[in-house]
Amino acid sequence: MSALLKVRDLRVRYPVDVGITSMLNRNRRSYVDVVHGVSLDIERGETLAVVGESGSGKTTLAMALCGLVPIMDGDVRFDGEVLPRNKDGNLQIDRRRVALMFQDPVGSLSPRMTVRKLLGEPFRIHAGLSDDPDRSALELLSMVGLSSDFANRYPHQLSGGQARRVGLARALAQKPDLLIADEPTAGLDVSIQGEVLNLLSDLQQELGLGIMIITHNLNIVRHVAEQMAIMYLGRFVEQGLSELVFRHPRHPYTAALLAANPSTNPDAVPERIDLTGEVPSLLQRPVGCEFNNRCLRAQAECREKFPAREILNGKHVWNCFHPLPGESL
Amino acid sequence: MGKPVLDISDLTVSYHTERGHLRALRNINMQIEPGRIIGIVGESGCGKSTLISAIIRLLAPNALVEEGSVLFKERDLLGLEPEAMRGLRGDEISMVFQDPMTSLNPVRTIGQQMTDIQYRDDRPKAEKLARAARMLDRVGIAGPTEQLGRYPHHLSGGMRQRVAIAMALMTEPALLIADEPTTALDATLEVQIIHRLQKLQRDFGCAILFVSHHLGVIAELCDDVVVMYAGEIVESGATRDVFLEPKHPYTRKLLECDPARIEKASRNLPVIAGTLPDLADLPDGCIFRPRCDVSIDNCAHERPTLDGGDHCSACHVAVP
Repeated sequence: MSALLKVRDLRVRYPVDVGITSMLNRNRRSYVDVVHGVSLDIERGETLAVVGESGSGKTTLAMALCGLVPIMDGDVRFDGEVLPRNKDGNLQIDRRRVALMFQDPVGSLSPRMTVRKLLGEPFRIHAGLSDDPDRSALELLSMVGLSSDFANRYPHQLSGGQARRVGLARALAQKPDLLIADEPTAGLDVSIQGEVLNLLSDLQQELGLGIMIITHNLNIVRHVAEQMAIMYLGRFVEQGLSELVFRHPRHPYTAALLAANPSTNPDAVPERIDLTGEVPSLLQRPVGCEFNNRCLRAQAECREKFPAREILNGKHVWNCFHPLPGESL
Repeated sequence: MGKPVLDISDLTVSYHTERGHLRALRNINMQIEPGRIIGIVGESGCGKSTLISAIIRLLAPNALVEEGSVLFKERDLLGLEPEAMRGLRGDEISMVFQDPMTSLNPVRTIGQQMTDIQYRDDRPKAEKLARAARMLDRVGIAGPTEQLGRYPHHLSGGMRQRVAIAMALMTEPALLIADEPTTALDATLEVQIIHRLQKLQRDFGCAILFVSHHLGVIAELCDDVVVMYAGEIVESGATRDVFLEPKHPYTRKLLECDPARIEKASRNLPVIAGTLPDLADLPDGCIFRPRCDVSIDNCAHERPTLDGGDHCSACHVAVP
């Protein structure tokens, strides 16, 4: 069976106009490669977590997959079919089958619409989804665990967690096959975070959704995602089964990231990996491996060329010349 | 122990809204000793931001301080003239915000911004710039002199936040307030910032009030921790005591909910059942009772007070 979403070597590049000279000199425009050759697979009923810091390209990746920003290159198949691109280069994906849950829960809801109207909107746009948008809106509301009292509230009357639920309900209105959730728990407290993640898991089981979850919270990845990918400056430097990546990180960045995660046990003596150097700017992408200036294992070749991907059993992939030792097979 | 830098007593703040009087902070008592790092944890809406705004007197226009005092070096900030308050802000009390991209001016260079904030000093510009460069060096920014000519968008997120910290510490404040300063960063940079803050705190000797809902960061950075729930302090004490032996049921549940503490991967994460109480219509007795699983009869009638010496909690059931 083919994967629900199969992405090969996706690239997104934004033009940067630096000052007046570049405006006058059109053919010398500079670019930033925000997504720089990303490949991934998402199966039905499975969750992929994309982890990386702000600015690593996670949100751009999500937007590109939803056809909201043009892509430069790449092969994207959804349910076995190659997705065409429109004249601007945006992927033309069936919006009824792929839903996006935006990062800012309140900002993505129109402040002048009640929850009832917000939830009825998808049904009004995609005629044929429901005969009675109002009733379907209330059904959605109960699906995400909110009582019908909420139907008449405006977004500013919702808490962060409630707004997230409404965002999720809206995303699920058209019964999508794939849900892309951009930081669904950012700014939420641990308890409400748990509620939102449990809800996602339950709905995934019920509807067989494929989910791509974007986060920089490592603590939740282990619990919600079978697969994970670590993004650094627009590339996936390591990806694979979450269990494997957590147990035996191979890329030095992943290892540092996992070791850095602060523990709530005040007595814990963390074995940190002290990174030096700054995160390079996308405007001046380093030659070779992008992590070389912060990496403790970097050698001469790391500064010359980008390492090819290494694949272990098809379940664990990394790009590194000098990976950390893994499990003995 | 010296005199506290900041001594908040019985602070009660409410907001006037359409739905009535929202009592956002009730009877807050806390002290910060010089040179300590205090963490404030609590869910959104628990009053963390209101508390900070009350300290630096930047409350929204519809907020009203009903009672209480905020003593900073024995002066009540709540009674200060606006002019005098402005003199303290950015000089003796400074602040680092969550998002450095929005707290730095995008159209001025780092050097310009760092000299701007030295407007109180009557010194030549070259000296101010040199001072800015020294400060950048102390927060671990390589090539500080070159960085002064750059704009915020040239810097990475971690660097921007360190610039913000450098700016906050430049006036050698007695109190630094940090509001979720590491939320936008990845774990490697988060740890870097925490360690940098710890070191700077030792060098400058200032007290730090650190607000976060990342329990791990608090555990690693802070000497003491204050746990807030729905506008009240429910527990406070040394970080080690509070995290290892929480007294208040809310603290205990909060720690249980932290996915980092759950060793085995689980699709069913623990949550605290129930919702936050309505601040416009507070329940009688203990504020946490509707969500508490160990409550007794008394909890419904009598509001518990914060007791217990160095490690105190506001709970009728908790062992003192």
